[in-house]
Amino acid sequence: MRSAFEAYTAPKKEIPRSVYLTVSAFVGISVLAGWCILSYGGFVRPDFLPTPADVVWAGVSGLQDGSLLLNTAVSVGEIMAGFILASIAAVPLGILMGSFKIVEAAIEPVTNFVRYLPVSALIPLLILWVGIDMSEKITVIFIGTLFQQLILIADVSRGVSHDLLDVSYTLGADRRTVVTRVLVPATMPGVMDTLRVTLGWAWTYLVVAELVAANKGLGYFILNSMRGLFTDQIFLGITVIGLLGLLTDQLFKAFRNWLLPWAAEN
Amino acid sequence: MAKLEIENVALRFLPRGGKPVTALEGITLAVEKNEFAVIVGPSGCGKSSLLRLVAGLIEPTTGIIRLDGKAVTRPGKDRGMVFQSYTLFPWLTVQENVEFGLRVGGVPAEERRKTARHFITEVGLEGFERSYPRQLSGGMMQRVALARALANDPEILLMDEPFGALDSQTRSLMQELLLKIWEHAQKTVLFITHDIDEAIFLGDRVHVMTARPGRIKEMVEIDIPRPRSVEVLTEPKFIALKRRIMGLIHEEAVRAMA
Repeated sequence: MRSAFEAYTAPKKEIPRSVYLTVSAFVGISVLAGWCILSYGGFVRPDFLPTPADVVWAGVSGLQDGSLLLNTAVSVGEIMAGFILASIAAVPLGILMGSFKIVEAAIEPVTNFVRYLPVSALIPLLILWVGIDMSEKITVIFIGTLFQQLILIADVSRGVSHDLLDVSYTLGADRRTVVTRVLVPATMPGVMDTLRVTLGWAWTYLVVAELVAANKGLGYFILNSMRGLFTDQIFLGITVIGLLGLLTDQLFKAFRNWLLPWAAEN
Repeated sequence: MAKLEIENVALRFLPRGGKPVTALEGITLAVEKNEFAVIVGPSGCGKSSLLRLVAGLIEPTTGIIRLDGKAVTRPGKDRGMVFQSYTLFPWLTVQENVEFGLRVGGVPAEERRKTARHFITEVGLEGFERSYPRQLSGGMMQRVALARALANDPEILLMDEPFGALDSQTRSLMQELLLKIWEHAQKTVLFITHDIDEAIFLGDRVHVMTARPGRIKEMVEIDIPRPRSVEVLTEPKFIALKRRIMGLIHEEAVRAMA
């Protein structure tokens, strides 16, 4: 009989669900407990580290005066607009780029150049060109997301097996049919994974853009709270972003499994 | 006129920044109607390339390939192919996979369904019509691939080591199944393998290829009566043929190593 320690520390081995949940809960509760001890115990000044209750109250008052919902709605709207626009362009272009050398030759050099530019470096230029309203945030997200998506989706498309295309030709499919009925569906799981990952990155670009110049949105809310030393509100803003990320990720996963049952993840 | 004629075909290519490679040289070969022809050769002899040439997926550098007297220039549904790798469309069910060629060819839904059902039964997969490929074993996937190729009613069936990735028990069952189907369907088959037992068990004639550049070294008639069952594997005639082909291949393998 092996000891529990031995059984639970083997690489790439399953552990019981109960153990898994216990460990997750233990770490979560410990972090919360550490926070309580530091804040309620008076070890850290409240303007550095608010108590959990302060953050909850900041949330309640934010909900009451409508500012929390407004700022969240603005951020979510900007993210969605930028992300969807980028995806509409990146999915077809990326698929073509990975499977047609001529498209790769046209787009890949430019993409690789832009991809290595931190989007934050473009923000001053974009402010000059587009202004500081919503369209600037959307542009930042669009540029930041598009080029990453292009490279990742091109890789997915490149990875589609040649034999899958060849067998389609021997079944009588013409080139157009092979692209629409074989290449495109074959890339879908990888495309969905790419979208899910890049949606997370889009949040980063958004908050950066809102920290630089904005008068609405969660990034602005956080920055503005810092100016008044409202640490509880800073924590609130961060928590909301984290929860939104978690929520969109779960929604995306459910959407993928619904759309692609043949490639469903557990 | 033979069903398939391969005339003096050569295949050369130039790897980027390398010396030109001659993969195939002076290949001449004929396959008769309803014949089960097998090509066997050491790995790297270009036998897969030869099959892709017949499929029209690549073009020969010189020479000509004719099916029913018509030159092959591009892939077409008259030459169905089964690959060694698993090539089922993962997003389609078994039924939809088998229907794919018919669907692309504009066959009406009802007829499509009937034809697909027939071949799914033929390969022994009734009850799996609605399964997705990832729910199937390797042997089952290759049976679906075979049904998919047959549903299109090709003039010739091209098989590129289709059982190469399967375990030996499954492989031998698949060989028997393939012979049974071939006897029903009256098809011309060009089958590629490096497995000598498989070549003799299946083939009417076995063409032995040389190491690169691949040529046809010798053609061996397999005069073992049909229908064949696994018992023939231990018959003296089988063993004699095996010894002969092994000798031919061994010479080539040694030459390729040198």
